[in-house]
This record gives sequence, structure tokens and C-alpha cells, in this order.
Amino acid sequence: MNLERLPNEEKLTLCRKYYFGGFAFLPFLWLVNVVWFFKEAFVKPTYTEQLQIKTYVKCSGLGFLLWVAVLTTWITIFQHFRAEWGEVGDYLSFTIPLGIP
Amino acid sequence: TCVQCLGDGNTSLQKLATSIVFFFCLSDVSCNSVEQKIYVELNNTVPCVRLLNATHQIGCQSSISGDTGVIHVLESEEDLEWPLSKGPNPPYMVLLESSLFTRSIMMKMKNESNRVAGVAVVVPNTSPPEFSPHTTCPNENTGVYSDNYGPNLAHCNTTVWNPRGNGLSYEEFDFPVFSLKEDNETEFIKQCYLDHNRAVNGSAPQYPLCAMQLFSHMHAVTNTPTCMRRNDINFSINPEMVCDPLGDYNVWGSIRPYNDTVFGHKENESVVIAAARLDSRAFFWEVSTGAEGSVSGFVTLLAAAQALREVTHEAPPTRNILFAFFQGETFDYIGSSRMVYDMENGKFVIDLDNIHSVLEIGQVALHSGNNLFLHSDPVSRRNNTVNDVVKNLVNNLQSSTAGLGFLLVEPNVSQPLPPSSLQRFLRAQPIPGIVLADHESAFNNRYYESFYDNAANLNLTYPSDLSPEEQLEFVTHTAESLTDVATVVARALYKQAGGDESRVNTIKADPKIVTQMLYGFLVSSNNSWFQAVMAPELKNILKPSPPEYYVGVAMSSTPTRLVQYLLANLTGAATNLTQSQCQKPDELPNESRQMYSYLWVQGIVPPNSTERDSFCVRASVRLTKAVSPAFELGEYASKDYSTWTESRWKFIKARIFLVASRDLEMLTLGVGVAVLFTSLLVTYFISTKADVLFSSTREPASAAY
Repeated sequence: MNLERLPNEEKLTLCRKYYFGGFAFLPFLWLVNVVWFFKEAFVKPTYTEQLQIKTYVKCSGLGFLLWVAVLTTWITIFQHFRAEWGEVGDYLSFTIPLGIP
Repeated sequence: TCVQCLGDGNTSLQKLATSIVFFFCLSDVSCNSVEQKIYVELNNTVPCVRLLNATHQIGCQSSISGDTGVIHVLESEEDLEWPLSKGPNPPYMVLLESSLFTRSIMMKMKNESNRVAGVAVVVPNTSPPEFSPHTTCPNENTGVYSDNYGPNLAHCNTTVWNPRGNGLSYEEFDFPVFSLKEDNETEFIKQCYLDHNRAVNGSAPQYPLCAMQLFSHMHAVTNTPTCMRRNDINFSINPEMVCDPLGDYNVWGSIRPYNDTVFGHKENESVVIAAARLDSRAFFWEVSTGAEGSVSGFVTLLAAAQALREVTHEAPPTRNILFAFFQGETFDYIGSSRMVYDMENGKFVIDLDNIHSVLEIGQVALHSGNNLFLHSDPVSRRNNTVNDVVKNLVNNLQSSTAGLGFLLVEPNVSQPLPPSSLQRFLRAQPIPGIVLADHESAFNNRYYESFYDNAANLNLTYPSDLSPEEQLEFVTHTAESLTDVATVVARALYKQAGGDESRVNTIKADPKIVTQMLYGFLVSSNNSWFQAVMAPELKNILKPSPPEYYVGVAMSSTPTRLVQYLLANLTGAATNLTQSQCQKPDELPNESRQMYSYLWVQGIVPPNSTERDSFCVRASVRLTKAVSPAFELGEYASKDYSTWTESRWKFIKARIFLVASRDLEMLTLGVGVAVLFTSLLVTYFISTKADVLFSSTREPASAAY
């Protein structure tokens, strides 16, 4: 969708929808929010709704970074220790590699 | 195979070429596939596979895309330096002659396994002086001797049963180990090595080098509880079975039939059990011939059962005699532990209190000096009642050898029982029993549980001018000596069961039947006698080679079926029933499927016809499941029962090809990437300057107007 042709209120509602949508365990919506509305929020000349769009983009960015941190930590721990956890590791796994512990 | 089919090959590019040529090949059948020009497939190979138990994994594993290594034919143990430290082109695929397949060489390669990609062992037709990959103390943790029962006898402290054992079968290797036969393929491999891989005048051999790739990727890891847990996990994208428990069926038959639906203790029923084991193993998967280890024992017992048929019909003894053939005994007594478990839990037609005594036939074919030995358990004999019954059994056995030229002797020293199914019965209850064997202490068998324990180990030789049918009928020396042992066993069982003393000397085993069984079990199972006794739907399991005695996981082992049908034919009665009556005998007034099993067998081909004379055999022969109680109870980490499982795998193959140096591979890849970028650059420049390059011819045409 080309944001150029949208009026500013609709830009704001779109940004808000993506922001609230990301709370449903959907961090990629926040990433999309940041990338899509970055120009609108920080590069374009000021307009009325821009302040709210700016806060939404900043909060989306923070939320996304938080998700990245949590997921990276969990994935590193799981990949490293899955073999040692034995039973628990197997029950948490979706696919278990064949032939290696 | 052709030497010129191996050309210079760069394996990374050839996969692309292969797939292109494959599409062409779909239309043209006679094309020369590039893959055939590179790889030579090895067809007569046998892998070593992974087995797991409650705590360990043993056997061999390859990586999922195969292990490739430069072939090196090992000349001596000192030559191991080349693949392990000096050679400039690791990893190496080491080709061993059987004389070098020793524990020290394999362990050295195991320790440096980052330079060893795999091992191929050439198995010759003649056996080395001795070789046993099994442990020195077979089944030491699941027998009867432990810290609570005869602690000084446990763990082979008094007698080491298999002193030649090097334990290789129970080691874990993280590279594949395959066996090759001594045939044209192996000659081709050695020729390829001599042509390409030899170091000339001390300098390193030049690329391209001859390499071998072995695929034997095993799915299961760690131990049985882990792999059984992974079998059961449902919450997965693609649930896969990774291992299967070892097991098959036990065969049992009795003189007087039992009702197969009434289990548990039978009042006033006293039974003498005659037992033997059916299975064997080797280092490599499934090739196990077990001639002295198991065939000698169960053939003797089958012959004894046949010898007892007539006399037990005319003058039935007081006690019943039950012939039991246990499967899976190599792997911690799978069959006998299951039968004892069933007896303890009222799932078998008798229970442990009904057992009067046990006579087990161990390894009996190699008796030098003409004496056989009667092993008994000294701990249970401290009890006077048990001791009396054992002494009585010893007397019955010793008096049965009258006129046969050998003696039965008890060992001089107080020593434990050899590894035998009787140990599992003693674990449950002190039962008087004897194990008959040809060894006084250590085994006479120099090839215990190895692929060399074959007909040659028993000196089973036939004159060279005989046809297969004549060989089947020829009574060999081995067959005669086993017949004598069978006669002794039959007489002793009859006396032990309280039979009529005056008839004992009429009991004689038939040497013709023994020699036919030895031929069928050790030389070729597809002979006329085996064909006659088997069912029509099972005739495909008979092959021109001897059957394999590995217990396996498919519950369809050939020896079990053969012993079942042989026992039925040798102890049962031929009836007049038609084939449909044979399948539904309960409709007839005198027949009952609960008391007997009815088997439709092919029968012989009469001289003047082509149709077989099939008939219905009625015998009191049954199969009972021989899967370890650990799997019934779900106790996969059990210390009491066998927990052996075999891993699953997708495919197993081996191939050789010429491999190029790493530098050449990287150079080719680099050139390819450079060509890619150059072409991108050229395209970019051409598209930016497109109007300059392509417009010069148009202007005169437009200017004309």
C-alpha cells in the first residue's frame, strides 16, 4: 500500500492497528510498523498526527527489540542444553534430529 | 565394473550434471549416466549397526550424508601411522584384512577417529586361528550370579567362559564399519588403491585419489529409554520410529499336550524341561552362523525329541517332557526371561512350581577327548532336596551312555553354570538343572558369536563329488557324534520323566535326520527335506545358503519357523485332514485347536508326479512371544531384564570413486563465482549504456522521414 496517497488520519489509524496488533504475540507486526512508518515519523516534515505516529513507532521498536532479546536467549539456551535435558528436551521439541543426541 | 568408468571427477559439479543428464535419460534408456561413470557401487557389503540397551549404545554410526575417506589398505599394525598421523590426506578409509581386525587396531582408530572416516574389513573364506568379538563373560549381568547369589562366582571370577573374546561387538564406534567379501569387488578396490593412492618414493600421493564412501546412518542414540521415548512422542511434525526391541518367538512342544487357553499352576503336574537356544550374533548385522554356539544344541534337542516319539506313545512316562527352544538368548536371555516371567505371572500353561528339573543342551559339537560335561549350579545344590534331584539327573545321564563310547563327567572344581537359559530359571526359584556341554571350563569354541562359527568350525565336510541332494543324505562324522549325544539326552529325559526302565535301550536317535538337519541349518536351507516339512506359504524363506541366526526385530526369524515345523513333523502325527479341515479343525469331533496346533505342510514330491503330497500335521507345538518383559512393563531402564533394541535406518550403501584435491574444488568454485559476478557486472554496464550501444542503427531510419 502506498502511504503517499493516504490522508494523515488513516496513516495514524493504520499505525495504531499495527501497534496494538503486535501485543498478540506478533513481534513482526511491530517490525513492519517500524520499517514502514519510519519515514513518516522521522523524515517527513511535521504534521499534526506525526507526534502520535512517532510514539507508536518508538514503542513498536522497543517491543520488537525486547522480543529479539528474549527469543535469542531462549534459543541459545535450548539449542545448547537440549541434549542434556533428556526427557524435558524431547518433550519441548517439535522435531528431534535423528542419530545425534 | 570397468576401470575406465572412473574418470577425473569433481563431485560438487557432477551432482548438477547428473540431474541434467537424468532428465535426458528419462527419454533415452540407453544413455550413459554420468553417475555411473563416476561411482562404482559395492553390492556385497554388510554394515555394523547400532544396538542400544538400558545404559549404552554399541555399534557403528556414519554421518547422515555418508563418510568419505581416501582408501588405505593396511599392511601391518605399524602401518597404522599413515592414516592416523603421517598421511597428508585425511580422513582415511582403512581397508583391513581379517588378520588385522583386532582389538588393538580398532581401538587405536577409535581414539583418532577424526582422521578415520571408516573401516572396511575383508572377510576371507578360511577362518583365522581364533576370533571372538563377544565379551569374555557373556551375559554377566543378567544371569543368576550376582553380589547376592554366589558373589565369588559372579562376573567370571572363577571361570572365564570366553577367554578369546575381544569385546569388539560391544564397543561404540562413531565411524562406519563394513565387511566385504573376498571377491572381484574387493580386488577392484585394491587395484584402485595401488593405481592411485600409493606413495611413490616417499613423496605424497598425487590427486586424484581413490576414495570410498559409506552410508550407514543410524537414527537411535544414547540408550533404550531415550529411543523408546522418542518413538512415542506424538507432538511432532513428522513422528518417526527410531528403534525397535529385539525379539522373536520361542518354540515349545510337549509329549502330552496342554490346553493352550488354560494358564497358571496345574495341580499334580510335574514337568521335565529340555531346553536349547536358537540364536547367535556376529559383529556385523545379521550375518551369524552360530554353528557350535547354537545349532549344535538345538539340532541335538530336535533329534532327541524325535527319538522319544515312539516310546512315549507306547509307554508314556509319569512326568511330562517339555521341549523349549529359546530365541534371543545372546542378548541377555530375551526368550528365557520372557518364559520365566510368563510362568511367574500365570501367562503360561504351567508355572515354576510344576517344573521338576531342567536339562539344557549347550554347545556340544566340539568334544575332543570324547567326554561331555555336566554343569550344575553349586549355590542351589547346597539345598538337599535340589541336590538330590540333580544327583538323580546326573545318574540318569551317566547311565544313558552305555555302549556309546563316551562319558559324561561333572567338572572337577566347583564352578558356576556357563551362560545358559537355566540361569534365568534359577533367578526365579531354585530349580534342579544340568547344562550339557563339551567344555569343562572355557569354551572349546574358538569363534564364539562370530561370523566364522560356521560349518567349517564343526568339521562338517562332504566328499567333493556329491550333488546337493546326495550331500543332504550323507551322514558326516559330526552328524554321527551329535546323534550319540541326542541318544543320551533322549534316554536321560525318558528316565528323568519316570519312564519304563526296560524300554530305555530301545531309544535311539536317527543319524539320517541329524545329518539332514545339519545340512539344512549349516549349508543350504533350500533342500528337499526342509521344503517337504515347511508350509507352502513359507517356502520363500528357504535359501541356498544357511539361515541367519540373529534374532532381529521383525518377529519373522527363519530359524524359529524352521524349528517350529521340524519339531511338529518330528514329534507330531500326520493326519488325514484336508487343507480346509486343517485350518478349522474344531469342526471335527476328535480334533481340538486348543490342545494341538494343526499345520499344513508341503510334503514330498512322489517320484512320478510334479504335485506335492501335502498333508496336515497335528502336533503339540506352540510359539510364544519372546520379547523382553522390560518392554511389556515399560521399564526401559531395567537392570533385571534384557533391554536391547536395534536402531532404524533409511538406507545403507557403499561406493567408491576418485576424489579431487580440496584446492581444485575451491578453485572451480571460485572460478564459478567469479564468472557469476563478471556476468552481473557486464549485464549492468550494458543496460546502463544500452542507448549508446544499440541505437546507432535506428537514427538513419527515423531521419529518413
